[in-house]
Parts: sequence; structure tokens; C-alpha cells
Amino acid sequence: MKNGKKTFLTSGQKRKIRNNMTGYAFVLPNLIGYTVFVFIPVIFSFILSVMSWDGSQRPMQFVGLQNFADIFGDRIFRGTLLHTISYALMTVIPTLILALLLAVLLNNKLKGVAVFRTAFYFPYIASIVAVGAVWNMLFQPDFGPVNEILKAVGIADPPRWVVDKDWAMVAVAIVSVWKYMGYYMIVYLAALQGISSSLYEAASIDGANGRQKLWHITVPMLTPTTFFVLIMLTIQCFKVFDLVYVMTGGGPGNATKTLVNYIYEKAFTSWEFGPASAGAIVLFVIVLAITLIQFSGERKWFRDM
Amino acid sequence: MRKRRLTAALMAGIMVCGMLTACQSKTVQDQQGGEEETAQTSDAGETSGSNSGAPEGKQVLSVTTWDNESSPQFQAVIDAYEEENPDVEIKVIDTSADEYNNSLGISLSAAQPDPDVIWVKDMGSMLQMADKEQLLPIDDFIEEDNLDLSIYKGAAEQLMYNGKSYSLPYRNDWYVLYYNKDLFDAAEVEYPSNDMTWEEYYDLAAKMTSGEGSSKVYGSHNHTWQALVTNWAVQDGKHTVVEKDYSFMKPWYEQGLALQDGGYIQDYSTLKTANIHYSSVFKNQQCAMMPMGTWFIATMMQSQEEGETDFNWGIATIPHSKDTEAGYTVGALTPIAISAFTDQPDLAWDFVKFASSEKAAEILAKQGVFTGIPSETAFQTIAAAERFPEGESNVEALNYTHYSFDRPLDPQIEEIRTVLNEVHEMIMIHSYSVDEGIAELTKRVGEIKGWN
Amino acid sequence: MSTKRKVTKIVLYVLLICLAVTMLVPFYWMVISSLKLNKDVFSIPMRWWPETMHPENYRVIWEKLPLVTFFKNTAKLTLITTIVQLCTSCLAAYGFTKCRFVGRDVIFLMYVTTIAVPWQVYMVPQFILVSKMGLNDTHLGLILMQAFSAFGVFLIRQFYISIPDELCEAARIDGLNEFGIFCKIVFPLGKPAMATLTIFTFTNVWNDFMGPLIYLKTKELKTVQLGIRMFISQYGADYAWIMAASVCSLIPIVIVFLSCQRFFVEGVAASGIKG
Repeated sequence: MKNGKKTFLTSGQKRKIRNNMTGYAFVLPNLIGYTVFVFIPVIFSFILSVMSWDGSQRPMQFVGLQNFADIFGDRIFRGTLLHTISYALMTVIPTLILALLLAVLLNNKLKGVAVFRTAFYFPYIASIVAVGAVWNMLFQPDFGPVNEILKAVGIADPPRWVVDKDWAMVAVAIVSVWKYMGYYMIVYLAALQGISSSLYEAASIDGANGRQKLWHITVPMLTPTTFFVLIMLTIQCFKVFDLVYVMTGGGPGNATKTLVNYIYEKAFTSWEFGPASAGAIVLFVIVLAITLIQFSGERKWFRDM
Repeated sequence: MRKRRLTAALMAGIMVCGMLTACQSKTVQDQQGGEEETAQTSDAGETSGSNSGAPEGKQVLSVTTWDNESSPQFQAVIDAYEEENPDVEIKVIDTSADEYNNSLGISLSAAQPDPDVIWVKDMGSMLQMADKEQLLPIDDFIEEDNLDLSIYKGAAEQLMYNGKSYSLPYRNDWYVLYYNKDLFDAAEVEYPSNDMTWEEYYDLAAKMTSGEGSSKVYGSHNHTWQALVTNWAVQDGKHTVVEKDYSFMKPWYEQGLALQDGGYIQDYSTLKTANIHYSSVFKNQQCAMMPMGTWFIATMMQSQEEGETDFNWGIATIPHSKDTEAGYTVGALTPIAISAFTDQPDLAWDFVKFASSEKAAEILAKQGVFTGIPSETAFQTIAAAERFPEGESNVEALNYTHYSFDRPLDPQIEEIRTVLNEVHEMIMIHSYSVDEGIAELTKRVGEIKGWN
Repeated sequence: MSTKRKVTKIVLYVLLICLAVTMLVPFYWMVISSLKLNKDVFSIPMRWWPETMHPENYRVIWEKLPLVTFFKNTAKLTLITTIVQLCTSCLAAYGFTKCRFVGRDVIFLMYVTTIAVPWQVYMVPQFILVSKMGLNDTHLGLILMQAFSAFGVFLIRQFYISIPDELCEAARIDGLNEFGIFCKIVFPLGKPAMATLTIFTFTNVWNDFMGPLIYLKTKELKTVQLGIRMFISQYGADYAWIMAASVCSLIPIVIVFLSCQRFFVEGVAASGIKG
């Protein structure tokens, strides 16, 4: 990479070239990898979404927006949008509230806080296949522990969870909340610890009690974090695949099939790369919209502070 | 302290790598490539087979299999071939049965030279692969070697697509009824006979259902395949699963649902969501009977051999409908083919030829596998095998008088089967009534075939 | 006042313990079920303590599953991906912050515009591309597709910006070349950001399911998650075995997590971002 044999250049030009070369040398390893494995595929994704191709040696054909018309005409695809949204509705708010609650509880100066923190965070670290396997057994409709407990507390006819098309998504959502709230708890905890203690001291002097402090200091100070967590959770919901795949496989009867399940199946089961990519573009548009909301929101918080 | 040291070590490692990357001005890919080689990971495209440490000069042939560990159906032939050709090493790419077609499709769409030889799971996917030109036509090989196709009794011709041969029949299987002798003995019920109508079978299933909770024993077991209902609808040979009108399936779906709703078989959605393999249900003695293909004989024999299970089991002829006599069955061929992208077609052909030869058939028969070469001796060998259930009725159960394919050789069969599977699921979980399901089938299959 | 505080404290503890128990019950159930007989896993009434222990389930798992291979594969993938990710991200971040070169801002803009694109959007073409390179069903393919992220560059860059240029300038006057400055000054200062990125990449790659699901087909190459998944699909009704396999799959991550817990927590807190 070192260069400098060309003696007819002035020393200033030489330095410039050398600076350029060093700059590129630093950036290049990542840049090459990123271009090849991320940037080109992203572009390619847009191209594929207007093509018809089954992955075989036959050339792809341009079909315009036909793929989009096809998927929106597909009852299963419209179903996946609906399921993904209902999944988001069922997980985002509970995760957020529980994460905040846990963080507030753990923000007290108590002995053994670290142990609790570990306990709450652990499901997030546990591998999804193991988690899916154990919850599937817990939710076993006829003799699983969850329904045994429900029967014991007097619910004679408990839901059949993953086996029932109306309850399967609820089961997945419960596991999702359980698994991910620990992660957002940590995010909240960091934000809580960032709140200056002088604010609380001042409030104490003014005679505020614990609940007042919570409502008038903690909650408002956490608004930017809450907004951030809200956005992240929503995006995560639209990308959900693993949990559904290991718990229900999208069933029963497509009842839990999500957007990414659809993309995966179209691409890797039926070899319809066109519709699969069209589905991917839909996902992109959704995530982009949420991200734009985040950007404008962030600008607002920063201006306010 | 320890944590700090750990970080330091990690940092040092990173530094070294960082220096390598920058100083040598090498791209990351090169460096990674180097690491890969030392890590001895299989590298597609090379026939030298770096992953298994094969001695120099050994040819490596890669083959794809499914559930290889639970059945000897592939390994027996692979071992025999390796023994006969010491300079060839067979590399097995194994996938679980339910993901097999999926993952095979992924490798083929990449047009990679591996795998060389493909065991095709069913005739439908063979047609699909042949249609996508992912399989190598083998007519020239057949001609060159003067291969006698008559030993397959017409099966080889059945597998042709557009007048070309893409595969040879490897296995031939048909449906029989498995039962757990111990459970029947305990209930003091007579074993299923080789001449039973479906109605008698349903009554028997109801009779054999006992227990509660997790210790419940189901009378029978239907796996989640659509075949476990539709097969019986096409058993008499009057219909196939590609029809303009599906109303002939109605009684079969009603009966399938009755079995499920009566609690005589495990319900569809439990099996489906928990992804439960039929063999584990039978092996765990959770069902008294199970209609399944003859390939399961080898699985059971191996399981007994390895001591995984040790209960007495038996085989009966599959039940028949009221208006036919016993001996009507449904089955399918398992072809073996060569990938169109193989870089060693001659070696691949040699293996394919061996795997579908009479010699291989003999080896397989000892393991309880029925090959594409139907012969009386093969039957005798299977029946005489050590772990084959004792009793003349078990051998009789293997006989059939009429054989229909579980799916017709229709170029669009895979697409149609997707519809069949979807509707099957909807009916079994009560999302559709039987009538709605049949209307949907008639409509959507008609659309695929261009009939309406 | 002090009795009131004591009461609050007790209430807090009770609440926390209840919550923690609820969170961990599934893992407890996993462990006890793995020690039962297959047929006793769902015995009614439920038993929270097995009557007889059956540790031989673990021997069965050991014989039926090449767990060591799976762990080795997962560890290899995780380590190499994390290291490549760290190295190239740090280098690039240095280039973007401390070097001036033609097209720097344009290139950086490319990173910024794609940072918010989820992997699921481009996984299909990425797979086609990697397959065309003949890297389908290899660890190399999986490493390459995960090792380069805009997020990594972005995270480290944000940190490097806060390192004053004067520091580099001074070193330059002392005769250090750019690479020397990077190694001796900027790189050591960036440790906190790197710890964050390490934890982030580590957890993501270790627990990744969909990537290996799409890319890895050969059994010998599979990761722990895929291996267990394969086992479940074959032995679906052998509940105790499945639970034993699940327990095994969790052991390494438990060890790593408990020994580097601090990093995990700080990593999440610092990034507060999930890609």
C-alpha cells in the first residue's frame, strides 16, 4: 500500500496521496466485507422484488410490481401482517411496563440486587431452541403444568395454548415478554442510574413521598428511554421469526405465521425469490417508517432537554 | 482481577489480528480463508475432502440422506460400496426428514458440485428437480452400461420425465399396519388381522384406547401427513389425489376427524406444533396401532437391535374399504439420482448403479428394507431376518394384490400437494368443515391445472 | 420511620423473590424433567421433585448427539465472527474519524443509510450471493455474512470521535505513523466501546438461529441450537431427553454469563441498542 516512488510529485501531493492511502487501508477491510455481504444484497433485494426467479439456472424475468400484487392478493400474506401486528400489540406494552417495573424495583439499594438482576436477565441469554422446547411442554394443553395450575385455581376449561389457533399467538407473546423483558430492564436500569440523585434530594426536602417522586421525577426523566424502548420493541416484533418457528412452526393452520416466516418459506421452501423479496421490501418499509418516527422523536427529546 | 486478565488476553488476540489485517494489507476474506483451512472445515467444490482427513488420492463422493441414524436404509449400502471400492470415501450429508427437501433445494439452487448423489425423498420432488434441470439425465449411462431395467418391473419407466430417465428406483414402500403386541396382550384383545375393513379398524382403535393424562395409550396413531387420510381415499385405485372433484374424500376426512375427536388418536395440532415424529410415538408405546410405510420395518428392527426398544410388535395388512377385499395398498418409490452440478458424474453413476443393483437389494433386504427390485427372495430374506417379528401372519401382511401410488406422476404434483397439505391442516384443526375443505381443494387444484 | 422503611424493604424482597421465582420456574422445570423418565414428565398430579432420579438421560443424550462437535462449531463461529467484527470495525472507525481521504463522507453515508435495514430484508439475496461463491454450508460463509455490520463501525466511531484529535496530533509529531497511533493510543482508549460490541456480537452470534438454519446443512457443521432442534424433531415424544438436551445446550452460556456478568450488563446499558 505504501507508495512514493514517483519522484515527480511534490512533497505536498505525495503526502496527500499517502494520507488517502492510509485512510483507505484502515477502512478497506470492513468496507469490502460490508459492500459484498450487506450493501450489494440490500440493492439486490430491491431488484429481486420485481423479478420472477426460482433459483434454478433459468434466467430471471422482469415482472414489475406483479410480485407485490401477488403477495397482497395472497390471503396467507395478509394473514402474516395481521399476526405480526397482533403479536406486537400483545408484547410491546407488557414488556415495557414489566421492564420498567423490574428496573424501578432493582434500583433500590438492597442486598443481593445483583442476584435478582441475573435472574431477570437470564431468559434473554438462554438459547431460543431450549426456551421454545420447555415452554411448549409447559403449555401442553392436556397435562402441562400451566394448565394444571390454571385448573387448580378453578379455571375448568383452560385455553389449549399453542395447539389452539386462537391462543397460539398469545402463548408465543407470553414467552416473548418473559424472554425479553430482562434486556429492557437493564436499559431502564442504566437510565435510572443516570438520573441525578440531587433531583430526588431536592424533592425530599420539599416533602415529596416515594410515589410522588416516582411520578414527578422518575417517569418524566425516563420518557426518552421509554420512547427508545418502544421503538426497539416494535421493530423487534416485526422481525420475529425464531420464537414462532421453534414454538409453533407458524401453525396451527398458519395462525402464528409472521412476516419473516412468510419470507423464509417463500424463499427457502417454495423457491419463489420474487415474492419473498417483495415481502422483504414490505418489512423494510415498515421498519423504515418506525425508524423515521424514532428520528423525529429523538430530535424532539434533544430539543426539549 | 481475573476478569481484567481475561480482557487483556482478548485484547491481545484482537491486536494480533488487527496487525495482521493491516500490515499485510490483506483482505479479511483471505485471512479467513486461511483460518478455515487449518480448521479443516469442509470446503464445497473440492473433491479432496479436506474435512475427514482422507488419505491422499482417495476420491470423495458426497450423498444426501435423511434421518440416517434411525434407519439402516442408506448406511448399509454406503458401507457396502466403500468396502468394495476402498479408494472411494462417501461423505454423508444428513438432514432430518422434515427439512430434507428444503435443505436439498437450497444446495441445488446454489448449483454447487456437492452433493453428487441424491436420494430423492419422493417422486414428486424428483419431477420438480428434473423440471428445474437440477438432475443429470442418466439415459446415456444406462445405454453405455447396457443396464437391464426390467429387473425393476416397470418402476424405472414410471420414474421417467419427458421421456428421459433421471433416476433409478432405490426403495419401494407401501403402507401396512404396525401394532404393539404387548399392548394388545395386556388388553386381552386379539391382534389386528390381515383382512380388516376400515370400520373394523376404527372399532379396534376405540377399544385399544386407555388411560388418562400422560400415560394415555391411544388406539392408533395418524401422523400429520395428508397421506394418512388421502391414501385411504385413493387405495381402491379409482381416484388419485389430482382430481376435478374431491368429494370422494369426504367420508375419509369424516372418519379421520371422528378418530381424532373421539380421542382414539392424538390430535393433529398437538403433533404438528410439537413437531412429534411418528417413530417416537410408536417406540414409546403411546399407541397400539399405527398405519405407516414399510420403511418403518427397518427402523424398528434397528431400534430393537440397539436395545432402544424391547417390546413385541407386529405387522398387519393395511385395512381395506368395505367394497374391496384385502390386499389393496398404497405406496411410493424412492428414487436415487445424480445432481446436475456434480463434478464427478462417472463416479456418481457408479454409486447409483450399485445402490440400485440386485446385490445392494440383497444387503438391504437383510436390514428389512424393500428395494426397487421386487423379488420373492428379497421377501424371504426380510422375513427371515433376526429382528423381524415372529409369526407367519407378519410375513403374509407384506403381500399385496393391488398397488396404487400415493400421488400420481403429475408435473405439478408438488404444487398440488402444497394445497392438499394446507387444506388437510385446516380440516384437521377444524378451521374448515369437511365440505369447505373439499370445495377449496376442488377450486384451487382446478386453478393449478387450469380446469376452471 | 425506620420500621416503615423495614416494612418497605421486606415487601420489596418478597416481591422480587416472587418475580425471580416466576422467571426461573421454566428452567427449574427443565432440569427436574430432564431427570425423570419420559413417561413421568407429565405425570398427574404434577411433581415438583422427581421421585427417582434418572441421570442416565444425560448419558443417552451424550450417545445420541455429538454435543461436543456442536459446541465447538458454535464457539468457533462466535469467536471468529466477534474478532473479525471487532478488528475491522475498529480499523474502519479510526479511518472514518482520524484520517482524511477522498470519498470518506460518501462511504460513511453508505453505512449510515443501511444501518437501519434489518438482516431479514436482505437475507435472501445475501444467501444467493454466498451460495454462488460456493460458501453455502460452510462456516466461512456464515462468518462472512455476519462479521461486517454498520452498527459495529458506528458504535466504535461514536466513541473514537470523543477522543481528542490533539492526542493523535501529538503522537504524530513524536514520529508515530498512523498505524502506530491507532495501536498505541486510540485502540487502547476504545476498550469500553469494544467491550460493548464484543458482548453484543457474542450474544447475537451465539444465540443466532435463523442464520445457521439457512446456511448449515451438514450435521458435523451444525451449531448447538440446530443440533438440539434436529434432536427434537426426531425424538419429539421423548420429553425427558429433550429437556436433558436443552439443559446441556444452556450450560456453556450459563458459565460464560455468570463469569462475565458485569460485561453483559454494562454492554447492554452502554449500547442500549439492538440491531
